[in-house]
Parts: sequence; C-alpha cells; structure tokens
Amino acid sequence: MSVMAKPLAHAHGHEEHDHEAELRKEHLLLDPKPRGEMNAMVMDMMGGTTWKFWVVAAIMGALVLWGLVYSWGIMIAQGLGLAGVNQPVYWGLFLVHTVFWIGISHAGTFVSALLRVFKAEFRRPFTRAAELMTTFSLAQAAVMIFAHMGRVWLAYWMFPLPNQRQLWPNFHSPLMWDFLAINTYLLSSTMYLFLPLIPDLAMARDRSTGWRRKLYSILALGWRGTEGEWTHLRHALNIFAFAILPIMFSVHTIVSWDFAVAMRPGWSSTIFGPYFVVGAIHSGVAAVGMVLVAVRAFIKNMDYFIRPEHFDALGKLMLIISMAWAYFFFNDFMVQWYGGDRWTDELLHFHEAGKWGWIWFLMLICNIAVPWLTLWNKTIRRTPWAMFIIGLLINVGMWAERFIIVPVSLAINRMPFRWGDYEPGVEVPIFIGSVAFFILLYMLASRILPLVPVWEVQEGQMAHSIRKYGKEPVVTVSDLE
Amino acid sequence: MSENISRRDFIKLAGVTAATAAVLTGCGPASRYVVREPYTKMPEYTYNGQSTYYATTCRECAAGCGLVVRTMQGRALKVEGNKYNPTNLGKTCARGQAALQGLYNPDRIQNPVNQKGEEMDWDTAIGVVAETLGKYQPDEIAFLTGLAPDHLFDLFGEVAKTFGAPAPLRYGALGMFEARATLGEAARALFGQPNNLFFDLAGAEVTFSFGANFLETWVSPVAYTRGFAKMRQGTPGKRGYLVHFEPRLSQTAIKADEWFAIKPGSEGLLALALGKLTAEHQGKVIAAYEGVDVEAAAEAAGLEISTLERLARIFGNSRHALAIPGGAPLAQSNGLDSAKAILSLNALAGNLGQPGGVFLTPAAPVNDGYHRPATVRELALLVEKMASGQIKALFVHGVNPVFEIPAALGFSAALDKVETVISFASFPDETAVRADYIFPDHTGLESWGYQRLASGAKESTLSGAQPVVAPFYNTRATADVILAAAERIGKPLPYKDEVAFIQSKIESLVTTEGGFHAAPEINTFWAQFQQFGGWWTNDEKLGSPTSAVLDRPLAVRPAEYQGNGEYHLFTYVSPILGEAGANKPWLQEVPDPTTTVMWNTWVEINPKTAETLGLHDDDVVRIVSPFGAVEVSVYLYPAIRPDVIAMPFGQGHAAYGRYAEGRGVNPADLFGGAVNDAGDLAYAGLKVKIEKTGQKKQLSRLESRIGVYGYEEH
Amino acid sequence: MAKNHNIPEYKAEWKAGEEGKWGMAIDMDICTGCNACVAACAMENNIPFVGEEDAGYGRGMHWIRIERLWEGKYPEVKTEFQPVMCQQCGSAPCEPVCPVFASVHSQAEKLNVQVYNRCVGTRYCANNCPYVVRTFNWRDYDRPEPLNNQLNPDVTVRQRGVMEKCTFCVQRIHKAQDQAKSEGREVFDGEVQPACAQACPADAIVFGRIDDPESRVSKLAKQGRGYKLLEDLNTLPQVTYLKGGSHVRNG
Repeated sequence: MSVMAKPLAHAHGHEEHDHEAELRKEHLLLDPKPRGEMNAMVMDMMGGTTWKFWVVAAIMGALVLWGLVYSWGIMIAQGLGLAGVNQPVYWGLFLVHTVFWIGISHAGTFVSALLRVFKAEFRRPFTRAAELMTTFSLAQAAVMIFAHMGRVWLAYWMFPLPNQRQLWPNFHSPLMWDFLAINTYLLSSTMYLFLPLIPDLAMARDRSTGWRRKLYSILALGWRGTEGEWTHLRHALNIFAFAILPIMFSVHTIVSWDFAVAMRPGWSSTIFGPYFVVGAIHSGVAAVGMVLVAVRAFIKNMDYFIRPEHFDALGKLMLIISMAWAYFFFNDFMVQWYGGDRWTDELLHFHEAGKWGWIWFLMLICNIAVPWLTLWNKTIRRTPWAMFIIGLLINVGMWAERFIIVPVSLAINRMPFRWGDYEPGVEVPIFIGSVAFFILLYMLASRILPLVPVWEVQEGQMAHSIRKYGKEPVVTVSDLE
Repeated sequence: MSENISRRDFIKLAGVTAATAAVLTGCGPASRYVVREPYTKMPEYTYNGQSTYYATTCRECAAGCGLVVRTMQGRALKVEGNKYNPTNLGKTCARGQAALQGLYNPDRIQNPVNQKGEEMDWDTAIGVVAETLGKYQPDEIAFLTGLAPDHLFDLFGEVAKTFGAPAPLRYGALGMFEARATLGEAARALFGQPNNLFFDLAGAEVTFSFGANFLETWVSPVAYTRGFAKMRQGTPGKRGYLVHFEPRLSQTAIKADEWFAIKPGSEGLLALALGKLTAEHQGKVIAAYEGVDVEAAAEAAGLEISTLERLARIFGNSRHALAIPGGAPLAQSNGLDSAKAILSLNALAGNLGQPGGVFLTPAAPVNDGYHRPATVRELALLVEKMASGQIKALFVHGVNPVFEIPAALGFSAALDKVETVISFASFPDETAVRADYIFPDHTGLESWGYQRLASGAKESTLSGAQPVVAPFYNTRATADVILAAAERIGKPLPYKDEVAFIQSKIESLVTTEGGFHAAPEINTFWAQFQQFGGWWTNDEKLGSPTSAVLDRPLAVRPAEYQGNGEYHLFTYVSPILGEAGANKPWLQEVPDPTTTVMWNTWVEINPKTAETLGLHDDDVVRIVSPFGAVEVSVYLYPAIRPDVIAMPFGQGHAAYGRYAEGRGVNPADLFGGAVNDAGDLAYAGLKVKIEKTGQKKQLSRLESRIGVYGYEEH
Repeated sequence: MAKNHNIPEYKAEWKAGEEGKWGMAIDMDICTGCNACVAACAMENNIPFVGEEDAGYGRGMHWIRIERLWEGKYPEVKTEFQPVMCQQCGSAPCEPVCPVFASVHSQAEKLNVQVYNRCVGTRYCANNCPYVVRTFNWRDYDRPEPLNNQLNPDVTVRQRGVMEKCTFCVQRIHKAQDQAKSEGREVFDGEVQPACAQACPADAIVFGRIDDPESRVSKLAKQGRGYKLLEDLNTLPQVTYLKGGSHVRNG
C-alpha cells in the first residue's frame, strides 16, 4: 500500500491550531467518527420515521394515483387526443420528459462512475444518492416513453420476442436503438447501484431486527466482509465504473439520434450526440445538487455527511458543464444558421421570434446566464438553498431546451401549409405524477436503503489523515488500491 | 308478377354492374316497390366481396350529374360518377361524394310524424294529405319544391292542374344566389326566347368571367370544371386565358390568369366599357356602345383606363372570346342590365352559337319548356298570401324555405298563418320542424326519378334516378303519397304510382331516334334507362342564339345599394356545403377551398381594413345591416377589396340535425327584400357595418395560421 | 449473402435509374381546388371525421389536402392549389424509423404501405415525413349509427393510436389486378383509379403505371412542366406535379 502525501486546500493557513479544527469541520474525510457511531447514524436515518414523512408520502402517492393511474388510464382508454400532440407536432411533452428524465439519470452515474474512475474523493458520501437518482429517473423516463405510445398495450412488440409470424423489431429504427440502449443502461446502472450497496446492506442486516433483518439478509447476499469479498467487490466496481461510462455516453447519444438522424430541419445535426450528453450531464449534476440539498435538509444526520465542500465541488462542476453546454449550443446554432438552409432559417427564426420565443430565451438565461453569474462565487456555491435554486433553474433551462427541440421544432417543417402549434394537455398531470413518483420512490428508498455508502466513507476516512510536519498540519491520503 | 317484389329480384331486373354494362332485355316489368329482405339467403348472383353498381342521379344540387353507386349486400358504399352521363362524364364534386352521408345520416326522419313528433302509419298520413287536398279551395293550396327540375316538379304541376291550384314554385337558395331567373330573363330579352344558356368554356381562347363561380357552385360546376380543364390543357400548345372580375379572390378567381377586384355592382358598366373599347380596337362602330362613358365605368369599377384598354385588346384580338355573367353581378339593382351588357360582349365577339361561345341549352327530352325557378318577387307574393291567410295548405318538398329564403321576406312568420303545412323532408330541417306533418320522402339514393338539366351538357339529357338501396327507414315516395291521396278523394291522376308516372313521361323516348340507347318497348327501355342512368341524345342539341342586341343602345344604371354601412357585403354560396350540405359531417370537415375553414362561418376582411378597425384573426364581430345582424369570427383574407367583406352561405342552421344545428351563421339574415328588374333578390347590393364585440372564437382551419403568411405578422 | 425473407425490407432497394410502378401526375394548371378528391378519399377509405375542435387543432384525418399558400400582398396577391398526399417515396424516410415494421415498402406494388395492426403509435414515421401527410388516430372517432353502413369493406377501419396515410387506394389496385389475372391479361392503363383521381372533375389527377412509358401518367410526367415535391431530399416521390401556368395578377 503506497502512501502519498498531498496537500489539500487551506494547507497554508497561519493559525495552526484553528487550522486543524477547520480542516476537520470542512472535510468529511478528515472528520472521522468511530465505525459503530457512524453505522448507528446511518441506521438512524432509515428508522425514526415521523408522521410528517407519511403525510408527504401520502400526498405524493395521491399525485401518483391522479397523474399516472387516473390521467394516464383515461388517456389509454380514450386516445392521445387528450394530450396536446397533433399534426405536425407529433411528439410533445412526453418525449420532452423522456429526454428530461434520461438526462437527469445521467448525472447519477456520471458523478459516481466518472468520479470513481478519476478517484475524486469528494464523491464518497453522495454516490449512493446519485445512483438512486439514476435508477428512479430512468423509471420515469420509461413511464414517459410508454405514455407517448399510441398503443401502449402493444409495447412488447418492441421486444425481439419469438412469435409465429416471425416478425422481428426493426433494428434500423433509432427508436429500437434507444429501446436497447435505455434497457442496457437501466440494467447496468441498477447493478452499479446494487454492488456497492452490498456491504452496507450487510451492515444494516447486522444491526436490525424483524422484517428489516430478513430483507437485508436476502439483499446482502451473505456478505461477510472477508478480504476475498472485498477484492471481488473492488474488481467488480472497477469494471463497472469503466464499463458504464461508455454506456452512459451511448444512451444519450442514441437519444439524440432519435432527432439527429431524422430528415428534419433543425434536427439533422451531427453535433447532437455530444450536445445531448453534455446537456444531460448539465441537468443531471444540477439535479444531484438539488437532491443533496433536499436530503441534507430532511434526513437526520445527513449534515454530517453532506457538507458545503460537496456543494462547492458540485458547483464548480456545474459551472464547467454549463460552459461546455454553451459551447455546444453555440456550435450547433452557428453551424445551422450559417448554412442558410431555408427551412432551418425558418425554424431558427421561429425559435426566437415565434410564439415560444420566451422559452428559447428562458433556456439561455437558465442554462448559461444563471450558472455563469452565480457559480463563480464560493459563498454561493457553499450555500445549500442557493444551490438548490440554481439547480432548479438549470433544470428548468434544460427542460426548455428539450421543449424547443421537440414540440417547437416540430411545428416548423418543409410544408408551411402544415406548420403547427402545440398546447399541452394531459401531459401535464402525467408529468406531475411522474415527478411525484420519483419523489415517492426516493422517500421510500430512504427508509430502506442506506442513503450514504458507509463503507466508502469509512474507507475514505481511513485513507485520509492529518499529519504534522513541523507546525504545519498536512493532509495525507493513502491510496487504498 | 306481384307488385311487391323482393329486393333480390329487383336487383336482378334493374341492377347491372357498371363495369360490364350488359344490356338487359325481356325481364318483364321492373319493380315499383323495393321491400327489404334479410340476406340470410344470398341471391345466387351475389358473391361475397363482389359489389353491385347502380346508376342514378345526384340530388345534392340541381345540376343533375349522373352517379354510379357501389353497393354491397344492400349497403351503399361509395358514390362515383356515371361516365356515360354527358353532364359529368364520370366525375363528381365534393358534395356528390358525400351523398351517402345524407342517406345514412343519423338524424333522418324515420317515420311519418305530426308536429308533436308522434309517429303515424302511412295510411293515416295519406289520409291527412287527401283531407288537406280536399278540404281547401284550389287557390288556397300551394306547392313549393326544390330547385331541381325533376319528375316530382312535373307531377306536382299535374296535381296542381288537376286540382286547379297554382303551379308549384321551384326555389332553392342556389338559384337565388345565382340570380338564375335574371339570366333567363336576359336571354329572353336578347335572344327572343327564355332559356338556360350554355357557355362553351372548353373552346374559348379568352374568357372574361364577371363573377361567374363556375368552378364552385355556378349552375353545373362539374361540367364547367371539365370545360375549364379543356380550355387550359385540352389542346396541346394552346392554353385558354381567363380573366375574372370579382370583389374577392374566389376559388374560380384563383384559377384565373388575371383577377380584378372590382367594386360590386360595376360589372355591367365595366362590360359596356370593355365592349366599347373592343369595338374601337376592332375599328367597328356599334350602336349598343354609343352612349357608354368609359371613364365613368373605369372609375366605378376601380380600374385604370389603360387596363381596360389592354383587356379590350385581349378580348378583341381573340377569335374565340367568351364573356360569362355570374350570379352576384346579376343580383344587383341593375342586374338585368348587367346581364344584357355582359351577354352583349358575346355578340360582339361573334361567338353566338359558335365553338367557344354561347349556346341555348338543348331542349329537355321530357317536358321541354323553359321552367324558370321562382324569383324572389314571386316568393314574396306567396309569402304575402300566406301571411294574409289566403294560403291554407302548403306542401314543401326538396327545399328548406325557412332557411333558404332570406329572413327579410318574412316567410317564417307567414308560415305560422298557414293552417296546414306538410313537409316531405328527409331531415328535420327548419321548415320540417315547424310543419304540421312530416311525411318523409326517400332520400335521393333510395328513390325513383328523372331530372332535366339546367345546363352543363350539350346533349338533350334526362338524368335517371333509381333506388340504389332499399329504403332505410319507414319513408315513402312523395309521388306515391300524393297519387294515393288524390285517388282517395276521387280526383285520381292516370298513374298508378311514381314508376308509372315516370314511365309514362319517358314513353315517348322509346321511339325517339338518336338516343344513347334504344329499345323496342318500354320495359326494356326502362331497364336500360336505369342501367345507364337516364337517356340522352348521341348528338349535340345545343341551340344557336341570334341577337340584335348590338343594334340598340345599351345602358346600365349605376347600382343602388341598400344599407348605409361602409362595407359591401359579398355573399357567396359555400363551394363545399352548397345550400344543403351542412348536415353531412364529412362536408363540414372538408376545408373551404379559399380559406380552409371547416365546420363554421367566417367573415373575410382585408388585412388592411382589419388593421384600421383593430381587428385580428378570430375576433368575433357583429355584422349589421338594416335588416339584421350576425356575429361571426374574422378571417383576414389577403385577397379581397378593402371596402368589401365576404361571407359564405350554407351554415347557420337552427335545426337540420346534429352536424348543422347551431353552427355558424346565415348571412342571408342580413339581406333586405329589394329585387332587381327581373324579380331576383338584389342581395349583392348590400352595405353593412362592422361592430366589434371584444370576443374571440377560433375558427378551425386546415392551413397553418403561421405558415401561409409567415409568423412575423401574427 | 443470402437474404432472410422473414425480415421485411426496411427500405426499398432503389437502384439508380430504376422506376417505381404506380404513380400519379397532378396538373396544377387545371386543379381547381374544389376538394372533390378530399371528399372522395374520405368516403373510399373510411376516414373518420373529427369535429370542429380537433379539425382546427391539426387532427383532421385528411389523407389528401389541397394546399394554398399566399404570395404577395393585395392587390398583387396570388396563390395556387396543390393537392398533397403521400408521395409513395421510392426511398421513404418514414420506413427505416419505424421500430416495428409498420411502415414498410411493398415489393410487389412498390408502394409505401402502413400496416395498421402492426403500428404501436410511436409517430416517428410522421415526424420523418417531409410532406406531413401522415395522419394519426388521436382518438376513436365516433361514427354514429347508421353512418357506419357506408364503411368500405375493402379498407380496414383503424383504431385509436394508429398511424395512417394515403395508400394510392391499393385495394382498387388489387381488385383490378385480380380481375386482370382472372381474364388472363395485364391491367390496362386507366383501369385503376384511386378515389381522388376518379372524382376529380378537372381530371387533374392522373394515375397509372409509371414504369410503362406509354401510359398516360408517364407521358404527362415527362412533360416539361413536371417536377417533384421537395425533390432535393432524394425521397424519389412517385407523384409528379405539373406546374401551373396561372399567375393571378391585377392591374
């Protein structure tokens, strides 16, 4: 086990006594707690449910019933006429929300896997929260895709199932690629969520009784914490972390191909792949920020694990990604505009000056102006409520981007006689239902699953220590692998 | 053979597949009544999946196009044109296509009913008709029939004669809008005999259309559309030139090479000026144009004199020039003068009786006189008699006078004064719901008949009708009801039933030479008559008019306008709905050709005018005339004179079934009662006001609101 | 490589210079915009009517529409009528994008066919159609009794959630082919007419074999006036429009 010393921030302070305390206060990994105490803290998070929790859960449940069961049920029974889609805006908010949820799901994996691969230590306390977000928002994306379909009861025709007519799905269709990519992503991200859960589930098994013990016994797969098990887990995680990154990139690239390969002005753009990936990460990292703020505010003991340093780090990430998004947006816009194709010109003009022009400007303000004007400031980055608002605005901006790309762009085509308009209908309650469903799933998960990867935090804390070189406290990190 | 024969025998006798068109002979007497029989035992010639085609006549307007209806297992499936019928040669318009939505309309009257809606049996119903015919003095009875000159009009005529009652009045809104009586009167004045005119569009090199919407509703649109197509692309290397004068860019005007949005009422003056300039260009001195003031005419029309001169050169240089007077110019106070002035251009062009010119329509094979539709002046007289209680019984068939006669004439109020009103309507229209009895006739596709043509075919044509399916409901042919009633009160007509009546009328054709088909005796002839959908001559039978119109000075008075509003109201019959298509859901959903609006009424306003008035698309405005007011959504129409607003006629029903009722408005509610010299309503000379209501009601359009103009303007 | 015939072609294998089979020529000089084709199509193909609100919201089910675009301002305003229906592209953008092979190319007729009972309603085909001619069954539209009596038994009645479009009245093509086969002959020119061409009072729509140089439609399409809609997209439409000579002007 090699040991390397590397100074972290504030390493050059002058008031040495306070300095060490400050370092501990600032950095979770330098502020270790005894194992038993930390385990108890995490167990405490899952129990101790108040009535307020159930009230909120009941409200969310009611919204799910209204949005996803009632509204969607009526729509299935009566047809998509209840939604706002029409000719020529054949795709509407359902696909906006599909892309939206898939985008959000990106950050979970991005934060977890990419930061794991690059050994970014600040990830440790919130990988779990981010991965859960991935899985739950992918489920919402699936809901949206199914809601979008005209005959959802035949959705299984998209599966390559054997049938007596020997009909096979059309693998030339981007929707088929999409279907496969999203399924792969859902499976792999679920496994990627589950693997690091195992030691924590075992920890929970050992510290609970009753149904919880039974449940955790099953889920923990008999984990004993032997050296061999740890080695396997680390190997597996390593493989997954590397493997899931290309999957993540492919998913949103393929989502972008749904649009980019189509023969439509505004859509047929070669840069849509990376543009969508960056957009997804933009909205996703912002959503991780929001989730962390919410989790920290509402779940016991979370303020120990989630500290301003994490918002600070996320804030920097958000700022960089916002710049990347702006770069791709400008690139796409510039190339399309300069091309001077008649229909693209009409479309771009419609984006800005048409009925939905305000959404176009909202997109630019939320995606570029808001992060650029705020996130350079450390104080803002370290203020949870400010980060929540910024995260929300970025998500609004990214929603606006998808709204511009899907229904607004579909309104303009090469047959001006059939240019159209779009007024959302039942999409709105179904979206509200899906948001409620997401929150509800998260709330329920917070009762069952350790929201903090305890072993990862403990591992990090073990690796980090403060040593004194003379009078100077220096943070050292030992590489565990 | 019994009188009631089964449907399958009926098909065997009268039906043939149009595709094979085999000649049937010696089948014995064709059936008179069609009774329904379940298809549990399939007739031996019927195969699953095989259709039977029946030829009949379209009753959606009075043009009399021939149809072939595809049927299968007793259901009518599709209307197609009868390729033999010289009127339409296998083609149909949108209204004809939707005819089945009348036959299978969910709001049909299914039984004879009285005003309380109580169902009656037909025996009682015939008793009521008999009692009504017998109870009143002959001059207390009036018959009002539709515009189509069909067998029922002939039968009503004979019934009226038998009873000594006044001859039936033939009326339809389309006839009023086209001022057909005025054109007939002008023909009488110019050519010595009243007649319908045939304009040989196909052969014309240059056509000046003075508001003639021959591609939309005018007289025989399918026939004239064919003529138009031939004029344009019929001869390789030649393309006829069409100039259209109309205040708005109508569907016909869109197809013109040049369109001039002239002031309503100036058409006659313009025609005279064009005549004078043409004569000057040709170096002729024509008495007719001596007193014509070209400058004044140009100013009245709103055109430059140089434009008139250019047009006159175009007209004068052509060897086959044609001038067509449309409906709206004739429905002005100076309409009759205008008709003469426009027709005189044809005399000037020397095209009377020449290819590409004006002809007299062929005499009909049956009852060959000229039967002018009733003028509004005659209707007003009828209304007056009704209101004074002089008319005690009114029989209405094939027309919906409460809707189709402009409200200003007071028909609706007068109807209450009539003791017994009997409607033979198939649908609960505004007149039927106010009648004392509704004795529903079969719809056109379930009934026998024949029809003469107003214009459209060069051959002497009698379009034949037969039931294509067994009557769907408990309806009965009005002819049979009337004949049975007449017999019951002891004044029988010499016909056993409707079929006997029709056969007696066409009997003379059996021996007529030169027909499309011939037979040695009536039964075979009758079968062929049904098979081919009528009878017509092989040769053209157009008449050549002669006229001395150019020898006498012509003058057109300036039009007098009713109302003191700022805007001329230009009303046109909806090209899709026609006068009575509003109850057919698919016609409602077929977009209007010019505005693409569906399911409603709109008012077309020039965008400049709208700007000055502060109006936008879909703003609801109140259009006010001295005679009425309607509220309607605005459609900014980029091709209409700024001082003219336009509305289509066809919607605004207070009854007439679920698809028509309460939908849109009826612009005829704004009309006054002023008539022109020929007695036709001068509805086109109306000036109205526009009042804002502050409300908005979005019109359903097929076109994109942003795409067709560009979104900057919205 | 041997072909697996269980897998339908996602795209016609269109070779350069190869022609289609059935085609149309539409003479815009004589099209009067009368909408007889629109009504005829609706009657033949069991197209439901959708009512005022839906019709105004882009949910009309017209398989064929007459376009009318304005140029210029009053009084120099002009327009023309252009009937637009499925162009039966030889290289149809709608075909590859369908995940379930509901939009496929018929090898026999060389037409683009929509398999209604295969369609799951993703509506991608419609998005990818540059002519915007595909209509979707947004609802189960009501056809009150007895209007259903006129339903054409040769044409499937579509359920909600299914895409549909102009078929070139393929049921009529098949009928004529069957008839010709039973009589031991080829289908002759003009024997098959889709409902729109059959109704057209101006005879502006001409239908027939475009692979037969002697057919009326081929001769018309080869006129100098012919052009294809959005030709630069290389969709190889089977419909040729003949330019109108009409230029409405004033003054």
